[in-house]
Amino acid sequence: MSELTLLILQLAFLALLWVFIFIVVYTMRSDLFGQRVRKLKDAAAGPAPASGPAMAGAAAAGAAAGAARPAGAAAAGAPTTPPPGTPKVPTFIPAPGTELSGPPRASTANAGRLVITSGPKSGTDIPLGTEPLTIGRSTDSSVVIRDDYTSTHHARLMVWGEEWVIQDLDSTNGTFLDGQRVTAPVHVPLNTPIRIGATTFELRR
Amino acid sequence: MTNPTASVATPDQPAPTPGRGIRRIRVPQKLRNVELFLVIFVCAVNALAVVLVQFGALGYADGTVVTLGAGLSILVFGMHIALRFVATNADPFILPIAALLNGIGIAMIYRIDIAENLTGWESTAVRQVVWSGIAIALAIVVVVVIRNHRVLQRYTYLAMLIAAILLLLPMLPVIGQEIYGARVWIHVGAFSFQPGEVAKIALAVFFAGYLVSRRDSLSMVGTKVLGMRFPRARDLGPILLLWAMSMAIIIFQRDLGTALLYFGLFVVMIYVATGRASWVVLGVGLFLAGAVIAGQVLVYVNDRFTNWLDAFNPEIYDATGGSYQLVQGLFGLANGGLIGTGLGEGRPDITPLAQSDYIIASLGEELGLAGLFAILALYLLFISRGLRISFAGQDDFGRLLGVGLSFTVALQCFIVIGGVTRVIPLTGLTTPFLAAGGSSLVANWIIVALLLRLSDTVRNQPRLVI
Repeated sequence: MSELTLLILQLAFLALLWVFIFIVVYTMRSDLFGQRVRKLKDAAAGPAPASGPAMAGAAAAGAAAGAARPAGAAAAGAPTTPPPGTPKVPTFIPAPGTELSGPPRASTANAGRLVITSGPKSGTDIPLGTEPLTIGRSTDSSVVIRDDYTSTHHARLMVWGEEWVIQDLDSTNGTFLDGQRVTAPVHVPLNTPIRIGATTFELRR
Repeated sequence: MTNPTASVATPDQPAPTPGRGIRRIRVPQKLRNVELFLVIFVCAVNALAVVLVQFGALGYADGTVVTLGAGLSILVFGMHIALRFVATNADPFILPIAALLNGIGIAMIYRIDIAENLTGWESTAVRQVVWSGIAIALAIVVVVVIRNHRVLQRYTYLAMLIAAILLLLPMLPVIGQEIYGARVWIHVGAFSFQPGEVAKIALAVFFAGYLVSRRDSLSMVGTKVLGMRFPRARDLGPILLLWAMSMAIIIFQRDLGTALLYFGLFVVMIYVATGRASWVVLGVGLFLAGAVIAGQVLVYVNDRFTNWLDAFNPEIYDATGGSYQLVQGLFGLANGGLIGTGLGEGRPDITPLAQSDYIIASLGEELGLAGLFAILALYLLFISRGLRISFAGQDDFGRLLGVGLSFTVALQCFIVIGGVTRVIPLTGLTTPFLAAGGSSLVANWIIVALLLRLSDTVRNQPRLVI
């Protein structure tokens, strides 16, 4: 084998090493630069009108849950039935005379599901275990929300001594629990809306 | 790197049932296919490296590429297949990167063997392939047996005991063995092993478990001095104990590198667990104080400092245990230049221990700056994947363990490569995956297995995509 062929092969080997590195970097680019932002089709599904029905639903569900267990279960089950996309209307009437002295804190014992109450996937729910849930735009989050308002690692729902706590992970646009911006980890009451970007969700039985 | 919406749209994905809106996003083996592609690429590069070594050093190629190249490839494919069954969602980059580093190491060790006329079982490269086999087999066992990394948390204190026993083994009279002044090997029959390499994994498990349970008291209280909250005197126990242990390793085992590795690991893990910079200040201060005192009192530490600071002094260069090796390594690197002499065409074998401690200098000579930077980039990618996995972790134990394991690799690279390139005093540690040595390979492949297991748990959560 001539000197020149060998030199070319040696250079090709170095090039291959770098090609491997660039393939790896290219494949993991979404981890490095974050997920691509998806534009929402419907601007009306933005954050502004989202809180209205969700608040009403929360108040109603809380009241119903306080009044009677079967009614509460039915009310909580209601928002999951409409297919995603249709406007959500509370299908239940709050029981009269019940005071809203604040719903009980969500704990691992009484909260079984996380229900999306507004936003593009309104109506879906996911079961809650005792494991923490991370919320954000990155693909390794437990709940991936991909819109303009969500940060890569936005917020985290975790269990502190049996009770669910939400923590904002220094997100750009904030996490709102019942309309209040979350600054320090706070306990999450049952049936109370948590808003992240254009998505609102609640913890329910 | 995966696009969840695309996977939802694939036809083999059943449409979500209308009644229950749960959507579990599964990406069927997509990550594993990426890994398969990268592994095939890596095996080709590894085989090419061996062939180039033969052409460069011997002028012809023979069947050695089959034993050296295919041996490692089969094992790596075995691990890949195991991951397809037991850790579907594991990170796809860690295995190829580790395999590439291991393969480049084998090619370079083979190159030194050719220069020293070692063949058959005398050949370090053949033994390195066998050790890689044992290491990867153990890694497969770890991935298959440990289905959830949280079980390790149960064995926090057992891990401490194992680490202590492993560290004390070389001090035992019969099996302990002293090589080049450092007493860190055990020798049973024809089999020698450096238990300290495996102890670092046990220590990482112990630190993670211990710090998860104790970090509140270590992070919340303390007095503020100069705008930094320092821990209470009574919370200083663990760090002082670790410092004493590191000093004991320096004094009795005469091994600077291992001591620095363990202490650095602890300082970083306590910093990550508590988020307080004062621990780093304390740790670095303690270690520097210890190193300066050791440099004054212990002759071999003092020699290391002299070799480092005054390497090109002819008296020190010619002295026994002087800077000959260090300077030869630097000459080799200089000879390599930008693109190197080419595999098999340099003279890396002039440097003592060119196949183990000085493999970085050997690679730098034959692959040049371009090749050395590629190797450093591979380490960077490996470590960044490890830290990324820990960052995405759901439980604190897993996160701390991931940080600890990736950081041991990072710190070990820094200590060795920094020593060879005269950034810090030279201390004897192995370059992860590259250097000849069974214990180092076993330990680092177990780290690979644990990181893969951690990444699988992270990605395996039920996910909802909005």
